[in-house]
Amino acid sequence: MFTTGSKLFFGASALSLVSALLYAGTTDGPLSMPGVVGLLTATVFFGFLGGINYATRDGNVSGMQAGVEHTSPAAQPPVRASMWPLAAAVGAAGLVIGAVSRPVVFKVAVVLVLAAAIEWMVLGWSERASADDDYNSGVRRRLLYPLEFPILAAVALGAVVYAFSRVMLRVDKDSGMAVFGALAAMVLFAGFVFASKRDVAKRTVTGVCAIAAVALFGVGVASAVQGQRTIEKHPTTGSEGAVCLEEGTAGEIDDHASQDVSLKSSVVANVYLQSNGVIVAYVNGFPDDPKSEITVPRSAWVSVRFHNDAPTAHRLTARLGSFAGAAETVQCTTAVNPGKEALIGFSIPKTNAASSTPIVLMVPGLTGQEIKLVIP
Amino acid sequence: MFVKPFSRRRVAAVVTFGFLLAGCAKDAPQDTFDPAGPNAREIDSLQRPVFYIAGVVGLIVLGAVAYAIWKFKDRGQDIPEQSHGNPKLEILLTILPAIILAGIAVPTVSQVFSLDKKDNDCVINVTGQQWWWEYDYVKGSTCGGVEITESIVTVSELVIPADTPVLLRITSRDVIHSFWIPRLNGKRDAVPGRLHTLRMEADEPGIYTGQCTEFCGLSHARMRQAAVALTTADFQSWVTNQTADYTSPEAGTTAAIGETTFIAQCSRCHQVDGLVDGAGNPVLAEPDRFVYSGAAPNLTNLMTRTAFAGWTFDLISDECRDRLWNESPETFGAAYLQGVWMYSAADATAPACFNETNLREWLLNAPAMKPMYTDPTKLAETGGKTRGMPALGLTQAQIDEIVAYLLERK
Repeated sequence: MFTTGSKLFFGASALSLVSALLYAGTTDGPLSMPGVVGLLTATVFFGFLGGINYATRDGNVSGMQAGVEHTSPAAQPPVRASMWPLAAAVGAAGLVIGAVSRPVVFKVAVVLVLAAAIEWMVLGWSERASADDDYNSGVRRRLLYPLEFPILAAVALGAVVYAFSRVMLRVDKDSGMAVFGALAAMVLFAGFVFASKRDVAKRTVTGVCAIAAVALFGVGVASAVQGQRTIEKHPTTGSEGAVCLEEGTAGEIDDHASQDVSLKSSVVANVYLQSNGVIVAYVNGFPDDPKSEITVPRSAWVSVRFHNDAPTAHRLTARLGSFAGAAETVQCTTAVNPGKEALIGFSIPKTNAASSTPIVLMVPGLTGQEIKLVIP
Repeated sequence: MFVKPFSRRRVAAVVTFGFLLAGCAKDAPQDTFDPAGPNAREIDSLQRPVFYIAGVVGLIVLGAVAYAIWKFKDRGQDIPEQSHGNPKLEILLTILPAIILAGIAVPTVSQVFSLDKKDNDCVINVTGQQWWWEYDYVKGSTCGGVEITESIVTVSELVIPADTPVLLRITSRDVIHSFWIPRLNGKRDAVPGRLHTLRMEADEPGIYTGQCTEFCGLSHARMRQAAVALTTADFQSWVTNQTADYTSPEAGTTAAIGETTFIAQCSRCHQVDGLVDGAGNPVLAEPDRFVYSGAAPNLTNLMTRTAFAGWTFDLISDECRDRLWNESPETFGAAYLQGVWMYSAADATAPACFNETNLREWLLNAPAMKPMYTDPTKLAETGGKTRGMPALGLTQAQIDEIVAYLLERK
């Protein structure tokens, strides 16, 4: 009755229709209407294709030929075993397991089911495309290779990048330099050998690359299992509110608290605590003219770099005002050792006139040493 | 001879002619090939030779392609001998562009550093937000000999002394914008959390227009700006006016009622410096509570500007704008400093140039004039804050009062 091709499209059309009804009944909001329209469009589209296939008897035999639906190549059973039914089954199981366990399992299962559906569909169709096996294989290749090769290449590339990243995160900084230096040397050496010995067997090159790939992936997985090394964070702004206004260096001293290059390159001012205990600001725009005021736009994030040239450790504290009866906002850097520096960033939402407390930068313990922040 | 109306030749001729005509545009205030200051001139002195070199190279390449197409067109001849590789030609085609690029790189690198000088006596903070620019003049600056002793905040029109380098410190409050006054210097991105500097200088008094050149959302195309250069004396007058004490409208006038209406309707977001409420307390705007960027235009001296709403809509009439833009450098400042009162008789009771229609329409329904995210049902992402001025539902009477009040902000 129905041809193989038309069954596929009529089935897809029916599935789209059911999906459209379910989607319309269960989904609300701005995506509802476009989704339903899309699914109904698919229904019509698949129905149309099914009709064409049915009318043309899948385009490979005459519709007028008696009994052809049983004798034509398209009506023959599959000729080879296929792994895609198994993959689809694993994917379906993954969907169920993923739905009740981890989202990543569900997502992988969705990809697997979709891949299996496409591969299985094209394989099933191509095996019946003609009575010639070679031709059928060629048809399959022409359809799927443009999809398979880029996807597999992307997956392979992703695996390499992932493996490298896991290894980089696992080894410490010093060892990393040695490991990757040696690795780069090995790649260079291998490239040199392969380039200089042109008669090297293809099988040898393939084997070496395969071993390297397996080794890389294995080490990457092992590194991922062990987890990344401890990476010490260097915040640019201290979060030690309790000690911001206290004299002394309670809390953390972090000599690496100004490692954020992007901030260092765009500070509004460099504040120096000089060796004589005086603080001055070198404001962006006036590099040779120390200032006691910094004008900053309100509601805009600005960064200040604090240099401690005093003989003892100090921190820079930003008193950022008190608005509408709320408590004063105070931020500070970590304590900074002599000769070191730290960054502090802040945004002040209102003008000086709205604050009941001064808006200044100061160093706890040094009276009278303040840089006024002007917020017009 | 009959010629088909849409023949290929005719279409090609029309397109080519159109391109040529575009190059003849007059009154192009944002012409990068018409520098009006030393920084823009430096760029121009580099881009012109590069443009000529690129043009010559382009013509050679196009000519070669056209020749090949004509010469080897399929006329039924035998397929020519197939060859692969020509080392001499390939080396030549590698070395020649390398030499050209190296030649261009030398002055380019030199000028990049030359344009990046950061020392200056006159520093202005430039802050972008959706979809307007704010300028605050850094206290302690000296601009063309004029000391900035108090902070000045203004909007969209960057007023600078002519023949004086100023340093702009550019940042953003929300998304990435890009500040560009083509006739005065190149572009500089305004990035939240970062501070970029840009030197700017105009040779002579006049108005130099620009616009945001980094796509920044719905009304990006309506985020414009201008630099207004004045003589030192005129700039001193402008600074004096901007820092003058607030004057309340005369009691009993519509403007006085408008002051109350302004406090009730507008001052939540818009600051007018020196404004006090009935109890004598300063009225301080809190745009950080209502606007996503945390800022709204300062309206202290609104009527000294020639446009509003991101320099999109004129505050002065078309006729006055044309006249102002065509003033000579000697007379420009005197006209500009009058704001919407320019070209008015000395005893005039109403400004001759005021474009009242634009301001009224804006107050009536701002989002209808400039698309902004102000729909109260769609502000979940911004915590209920708008990205622009919402329609406040003002009555005509309230609009009358606010317009009368704003007209005195000069």
